Amino acid sequence: MTAIDQTAAAIPAARPATKTGPRRPKLRDTWWRHVVAWIAIVVALFPVAYIASAAFTGNPSLAGSSLIPRHLTLDNFKKLFSPGNSTTDITSNASNYPHWILNTLIVATSTAFFTVMLGALAAYAFSRFRFRGRRMGMLGLLLVQMFPQMLAVVAIYLIVVHTGTVFHVLALNTLTGLIIVYLGGVMSVNVWFMKGFFDTIPAELDESARVDGASPAQVFWGVVLPLAAPVLAVIGLFSFVGVLNEFIIASVLLQSDKKLTLPVGMRGFIDQQFSQHWGPFAAGVLIAAVPVVILFMFLQRFIVEGLTAGSVKG
Amino acid sequence: MADVRFEDVDKVYDNGVQAVFDLSLNIQDGEFLVLVGPSGCGKTTALRMVAGLEEISDGTISIGARVVNDLTPKERDIAMVFQNYALYPHLSVGDNIAFGLRLRKTPKKTVEERVQWAARLLGLTQYLDRRPKELSGGQRQRVAMGRAIVRQPQVFLMDEPLSNLDAKLRVQMRAEIGRIQRELGTTTIYVTHDQTEAMTMGDHVAVMRKGELQQMDTPQKLYSDPKNLFVASFIGSPSMNLVEAQIVRQNGGLVARIGDQELPVPGELSSARPALTGYVGRKVALGVRPEQLEDASLVRDGANGNRLRGRVVLTEALGSELLAHVELSGKPVVTDDVLEGAVELEDAMVDDLAQKADEERTTFIGRFVAASDVRPDHVIDMVVDTEKLQFFDLETGNAIRAGE
Repeated sequence: MTAIDQTAAAIPAARPATKTGPRRPKLRDTWWRHVVAWIAIVVALFPVAYIASAAFTGNPSLAGSSLIPRHLTLDNFKKLFSPGNSTTDITSNASNYPHWILNTLIVATSTAFFTVMLGALAAYAFSRFRFRGRRMGMLGLLLVQMFPQMLAVVAIYLIVVHTGTVFHVLALNTLTGLIIVYLGGVMSVNVWFMKGFFDTIPAELDESARVDGASPAQVFWGVVLPLAAPVLAVIGLFSFVGVLNEFIIASVLLQSDKKLTLPVGMRGFIDQQFSQHWGPFAAGVLIAAVPVVILFMFLQRFIVEGLTAGSVKG
Repeated sequence: MADVRFEDVDKVYDNGVQAVFDLSLNIQDGEFLVLVGPSGCGKTTALRMVAGLEEISDGTISIGARVVNDLTPKERDIAMVFQNYALYPHLSVGDNIAFGLRLRKTPKKTVEERVQWAARLLGLTQYLDRRPKELSGGQRQRVAMGRAIVRQPQVFLMDEPLSNLDAKLRVQMRAEIGRIQRELGTTTIYVTHDQTEAMTMGDHVAVMRKGELQQMDTPQKLYSDPKNLFVASFIGSPSMNLVEAQIVRQNGGLVARIGDQELPVPGELSSARPALTGYVGRKVALGVRPEQLEDASLVRDGANGNRLRGRVVLTEALGSELLAHVELSGKPVVTDDVLEGAVELEDAMVDDLAQKADEERTTFIGRFVAASDVRPDHVIDMVVDTEKLQFFDLETGNAIRAGE
């Protein structure tokens, strides 16, 4: 949204008609771009093709699998969703697959939502208000961010054990407890990211709204948040995907089989010594990818805008 | 509708910088007041204090009968137009204009009527559904105006609203803002650094410098009777010609000696400014507006005494008139007041001026009639309208007027 774009949009008729558009590039000059693009696509899709192939064949191991399945079958998917465990040859875990999906969606959606909301509130304060401890707060967030979350696993575990004795909703083996831990984990980098974006929204907009009669809350919800939509979408998506992939903390905090999230649960398929179940695993992974892909498709427009808008002032 | 009063208002920022010193202003109901000054003079801070966007460190600001020091912007019943318009990019033009009304829970029908009314007044009716970014600069400016007028507030505050427009549009919008303000009769405080804008728009103009009010007067009084060197050099384009002159008594009258030339000070002038006699034998700053100079070859009955001779260094033909830059001997006035007032000067020109001061050469700009055929390197005589000469104390920069 540069000034040039805006003026160009504002006076479309002012352009003389004689000016021809940019010449269509000749294939002779640009064939190499197509080659690069195709290579990129193949590289990106290769693992997907492999996992899809594994998902649709009955072969439980990876050793004999091939890229193009010889006979297609939905057995793996059926196994994932079959309630019983005696008739199947995979572990009893499989029957809990629907639970894992549901758990994961609950945790990921609420983490994404609250990350965005809490982060936006904090970032707005850091961006707009001048208060004692603002600099230290920002620095503190940055410092916390410098240590990998894994370092904190033991501490997190102990904290959750102890808080759980007082607040049962936040106890071990609860989704709410896991969500709270996730919310804290990535907050700092998100706050920095969003603050950077908010800084690019002119403060005059806030002031203008205040003079117009808006309360601070109305300024935030009515003016700043709608304008920050791209960055909110990006943060939301990233934390959604992040939670979807997160293993360590989830494996520490969740214990009973029905409470597991996907990564922890799916691990059960492949970590047994003699009976690896790549087939159902592949099928499960494939299904888990669906919501992410859908989200990406919906938010694509915002993502491109959000990733660039935060970095370039303009 | 209301008047606005500043009483001994101070503004000290958290970092200790004081932006406004003891500002006292009285803006009548319905008046158009322009706050003008070079950047950093505290004019915008003053405006933002009225808006409630900056806290008032000391003193009081009242709108109508109410002291507004501790009121939120919302409670002050004001509207503000920002330099960059501050339109909400995610709302259509109509929604932008209606924003304030909707926040006040105005009935839908009234909102609709008022938006239509404002749009008609500003010629925006056909753009109500557009987004701000689809509009040209001038149209956006109008939307910003629309957002202000639609609420019919007690006071309009405008912070350099025209500085983002190109020159032609600026002149047009200048007239339009003036028209709308007169039509609505709303008290308006308008901030600008552009003295032309200040002169053409304001009922009264308050000139500020470094946080202090220099002079508040009608544009004409500011121009013809500036209180000090700063106002003298700030108001007017091209600026007032300023040169050091020695006041001497000669044949019962006063004479200003500029370099090796002399200008008689008319009797009426010296009697209107009795303090001038106190400067006999001393140096003062002498001010001559460009239009007080005329090409002597075109003046038939010019008195022989009121002439200055110099060498033309540059001419600018403007069609309707001719600006002649004439160099003559004499020391230019280069105090801080002047340098700061002459905001159009660039650094290189300031250096040049300092060098000329050393060489005791000064350049006068004369506004000659277009028929003048002076050319660079001509040595010419200029007739000076000595009735309007201005005198300033070199030390204090204050105008030398009545005896004090």
